[in-house]
Amino acid sequence: MENQTLVKEICPTTTQEWVKNGALLVDVREKDEVAELAYDVPNIINIPLSEFEERFNEIPKDQDVVMVCKGGGRSLRAAGFLVNHGYTNVVNMQHGIARWVQKGFPTKGNTSVVTGGDSCCSTSGCC
Amino acid sequence: MTQIKVLGPGCPKCKTTYSNVLEALKQSNIEANVVKVEDIEEMMKYNVLTTPVLMIDEQIKIKGRVAQVNEIIELLKK
Repeated sequence: MENQTLVKEICPTTTQEWVKNGALLVDVREKDEVAELAYDVPNIINIPLSEFEERFNEIPKDQDVVMVCKGGGRSLRAAGFLVNHGYTNVVNMQHGIARWVQKGFPTKGNTSVVTGGDSCCSTSGCC
Repeated sequence: MTQIKVLGPGCPKCKTTYSNVLEALKQSNIEANVVKVEDIEEMMKYNVLTTPVLMIDEQIKIKGRVAQVNEIIELLKK
Protein backbone atom coordinates (compact mmCIF):
# COMPACT_ATOMS: atom_id res chain seq x y z
CA MET A 1 0.00 0.00 0.00
CA GLU A 2 2.60 2.53 1.04
CA ASN A 3 5.69 3.06 -1.06
CA GLN A 4 8.50 2.21 1.33
CA THR A 5 11.39 -0.21 1.68
CA LEU A 6 12.03 -0.36 5.42
CA VAL A 7 9.39 -2.96 6.23
CA LYS A 8 8.45 -6.08 4.31
CA GLU A 9 4.72 -6.23 3.66
CA ILE A 10 2.50 -9.24 3.09
CA CYS A 11 -1.17 -9.62 2.19
CA PRO A 12 -3.87 -11.22 4.39
CA THR A 13 -3.70 -14.47 2.40
CA THR A 14 0.03 -14.80 2.96
CA THR A 15 -0.55 -13.93 6.60
CA GLN A 16 -2.64 -17.10 6.85
CA GLU A 17 0.48 -19.08 5.95
CA TRP A 18 2.54 -17.21 8.51
CA VAL A 19 -0.12 -17.95 11.15
CA LYS A 20 -0.06 -21.66 10.28
CA ASN A 21 3.71 -21.59 10.72
CA GLY A 22 3.39 -20.15 14.21
CA ALA A 23 3.78 -16.42 13.66
CA LEU A 24 2.55 -14.01 16.30
CA LEU A 25 0.06 -11.35 15.20
CA VAL A 26 0.34 -7.98 16.95
CA ASP A 27 -2.82 -5.91 16.62
CA VAL A 28 -2.11 -2.21 17.18
CA ARG A 29 -5.71 -1.01 17.08
CA GLU A 30 -7.15 0.60 20.18
CA LYS A 31 -8.94 -1.56 22.76
CA ASP A 32 -12.44 -0.37 21.82
CA GLU A 33 -11.83 -1.31 18.20
CA VAL A 34 -10.63 -4.79 19.19
CA ALA A 35 -13.66 -5.23 21.46
CA GLU A 36 -15.91 -4.63 18.46
CA LEU A 37 -14.09 -6.86 16.03
CA ALA A 38 -11.01 -9.02 16.57
CA TYR A 39 -8.81 -11.29 14.50
CA ASP A 40 -9.55 -14.90 15.44
CA VAL A 41 -6.13 -16.57 15.28
CA PRO A 42 -4.24 -18.70 17.83
CA ASN A 43 -1.32 -16.37 18.54
CA ILE A 44 -2.26 -12.73 18.87
CA ILE A 45 -1.64 -9.87 21.28
CA ASN A 46 -3.12 -6.38 21.32
CA ILE A 47 -0.75 -3.47 21.90
CA PRO A 48 -2.60 -0.28 20.97
CA LEU A 49 -0.53 2.26 19.08
CA SER A 50 -1.18 4.74 21.91
CA GLU A 51 0.68 2.37 24.29
CA PHE A 52 3.18 1.03 21.82
CA GLU A 53 6.29 2.93 22.90
CA GLU A 54 5.86 1.72 26.50
CA ARG A 55 4.93 -1.87 25.65
CA PHE A 56 6.77 -2.90 22.49
CA ASN A 57 9.23 -4.93 24.61
CA GLU A 58 6.42 -7.47 25.10
CA ILE A 59 6.96 -8.54 21.50
CA PRO A 60 9.49 -11.38 21.24
CA LYS A 61 12.51 -10.82 19.02
CA ASP A 62 13.01 -14.53 18.30
CA GLN A 63 9.61 -15.17 16.72
CA ASP A 64 8.05 -14.26 13.38
CA VAL A 65 5.74 -11.31 13.91
CA VAL A 66 3.00 -9.90 11.69
CA MET A 67 1.80 -6.40 12.54
CA VAL A 68 -1.90 -5.79 11.88
CA CYS A 69 -4.50 -3.04 12.29
CA LYS A 70 -7.64 -1.83 10.54
CA GLY A 71 -6.26 -0.77 7.18
CA GLY A 72 -2.51 -1.40 7.32
CA GLY A 73 -1.33 2.17 7.97
CA ARG A 74 -0.87 2.20 11.72
CA SER A 75 0.66 -1.28 11.75
CA LEU A 76 3.19 -0.19 9.12
CA ARG A 77 4.40 2.61 11.35
CA ALA A 78 4.58 0.24 14.32
CA ALA A 79 6.51 -2.28 12.21
CA GLY A 80 8.96 0.44 11.19
CA PHE A 81 9.37 1.35 14.85
CA LEU A 82 10.24 -2.28 15.65
CA VAL A 83 12.72 -2.53 12.76
CA ASN A 84 14.38 0.63 14.06
CA HIS A 85 14.62 -1.11 17.45
CA GLY A 86 16.43 -4.14 16.09
CA TYR A 87 13.60 -6.50 15.25
CA THR A 88 14.41 -8.54 12.17
CA ASN A 89 11.48 -10.97 11.93
CA VAL A 90 8.73 -8.38 11.58
CA VAL A 91 6.43 -7.85 8.61
CA ASN A 92 3.37 -5.69 8.08
CA MET A 93 0.04 -7.02 6.88
CA GLN A 94 -1.33 -4.75 4.16
CA HIS A 95 -4.97 -3.65 4.08
CA GLY A 96 -5.72 -4.66 7.67
CA ILE A 97 -8.80 -6.30 9.07
CA ALA A 98 -10.95 -4.68 6.37
CA ARG A 99 -9.41 -6.88 3.66
CA TRP A 100 -9.17 -9.79 6.12
CA VAL A 101 -12.95 -9.68 6.50
CA GLN A 102 -13.49 -9.32 2.74
CA LYS A 103 -11.45 -12.49 2.25
CA GLY A 104 -13.64 -14.34 4.74
CA PHE A 105 -10.84 -15.04 7.20
CA PRO A 106 -11.80 -15.76 10.84
CA THR A 107 -12.84 -12.95 13.14
CA LYS A 108 -14.72 -12.48 16.38
CA GLY A 109 -17.31 -9.73 16.63
CA ASN A 110 -19.20 -7.38 14.35
CA THR A 111 -17.75 -7.30 10.84
CA SER A 112 -20.03 -4.45 9.75
CA VAL A 113 -17.66 -1.99 11.47
CA VAL A 114 -15.13 -2.48 8.68
CA THR A 115 -17.37 -3.07 5.69
CA GLY A 116 -18.67 0.50 5.55
CA GLY A 117 -15.47 2.07 4.18
CA ASP A 118 -11.83 1.50 3.47
CA SER A 119 -10.21 4.18 5.60
CA CYS A 120 -6.68 3.32 6.68
CA CYS A 121 -6.96 5.32 9.82
CA SER A 122 -9.44 5.25 12.58
CA THR A 123 -10.17 7.13 15.76
CA SER A 124 -7.19 7.41 18.05
CA GLY A 125 -3.53 6.75 17.45
CA CYS A 126 -3.82 8.03 13.96
CA CYS A 127 -5.58 10.73 12.06
CA MET B 1 17.06 29.68 10.52
CA THR B 2 14.63 27.58 12.49
CA GLN B 3 13.60 24.35 10.77
CA ILE B 4 10.03 23.16 11.29
CA LYS B 5 8.68 19.83 10.10
CA VAL B 6 5.11 18.62 10.22
CA LEU B 7 4.96 14.86 9.89
CA GLY B 8 1.75 13.13 8.90
CA PRO B 9 0.14 11.16 6.10
CA GLY B 10 -1.98 14.08 4.89
CA CYS B 11 -4.93 13.64 7.21
CA PRO B 12 -7.10 16.58 8.38
CA LYS B 13 -5.26 16.89 11.72
CA CYS B 14 -1.93 17.03 9.90
CA LYS B 15 -3.22 19.75 7.57
CA THR B 16 -4.54 21.73 10.54
CA THR B 17 -1.17 21.47 12.28
CA TYR B 18 0.59 22.67 9.14
CA SER B 19 -1.71 25.68 8.75
CA ASN B 20 -1.36 26.42 12.49
CA VAL B 21 2.41 26.53 12.04
CA LEU B 22 2.06 29.04 9.22
CA GLU B 23 -0.33 31.11 11.30
CA ALA B 24 2.03 31.01 14.29
CA LEU B 25 4.91 32.25 12.16
CA LYS B 26 2.74 35.02 10.78
CA GLN B 27 1.55 36.15 14.21
CA SER B 28 5.00 36.01 15.79
CA ASN B 29 6.98 37.43 12.86
CA ILE B 30 9.44 34.58 13.24
CA GLU B 31 11.11 33.27 10.12
CA ALA B 32 11.46 29.53 9.64
CA ASN B 33 11.72 26.88 6.99
CA VAL B 34 8.55 24.79 7.10
CA VAL B 35 8.47 21.34 5.57
CA LYS B 36 5.55 18.97 5.33
CA VAL B 37 6.69 15.34 5.53
CA GLU B 38 4.11 12.92 4.15
CA ASP B 39 6.45 10.16 3.00
CA ILE B 40 5.95 7.10 5.18
CA GLU B 41 9.58 5.99 4.95
CA GLU B 42 10.79 9.41 5.99
CA MET B 43 8.35 9.36 8.90
CA MET B 44 9.53 5.94 10.02
CA LYS B 45 13.10 7.22 10.22
CA TYR B 46 11.89 9.40 13.08
CA ASN B 47 10.18 6.42 14.77
CA VAL B 48 6.85 8.18 14.50
CA LEU B 49 3.88 6.17 15.71
CA THR B 50 1.11 8.69 16.19
CA THR B 51 0.56 11.64 13.88
CA PRO B 52 0.64 14.53 13.38
CA VAL B 53 4.09 15.34 14.71
CA LEU B 54 5.55 18.82 15.07
CA MET B 55 9.33 18.97 14.93
CA ILE B 56 11.41 22.06 15.57
CA ASP B 57 15.08 21.87 14.67
CA GLU B 58 14.88 18.07 14.38
CA GLN B 59 13.38 17.65 17.85
CA ILE B 60 9.91 16.20 18.33
CA LYS B 61 7.88 18.77 20.27
CA ILE B 62 4.27 17.58 19.90
CA LYS B 63 3.00 14.25 18.65
CA GLY B 64 -0.34 12.56 18.16
CA ARG B 65 -2.43 15.71 18.22
CA VAL B 66 -2.95 19.07 16.57
CA ALA B 67 -0.46 21.70 17.74
CA GLN B 68 -2.30 24.93 18.57
CA VAL B 69 -1.12 28.30 17.28
CA ASN B 70 -0.36 29.70 20.75
CA GLU B 71 1.68 26.71 21.84
CA ILE B 72 3.65 26.73 18.59
CA ILE B 73 4.50 30.39 19.22
CA GLU B 74 5.63 29.49 22.75
CA LEU B 75 7.78 26.65 21.45
CA LEU B 76 9.35 28.91 18.84
CA LYS B 77 10.24 31.52 21.45
CA LYS B 78 12.12 29.01 23.64
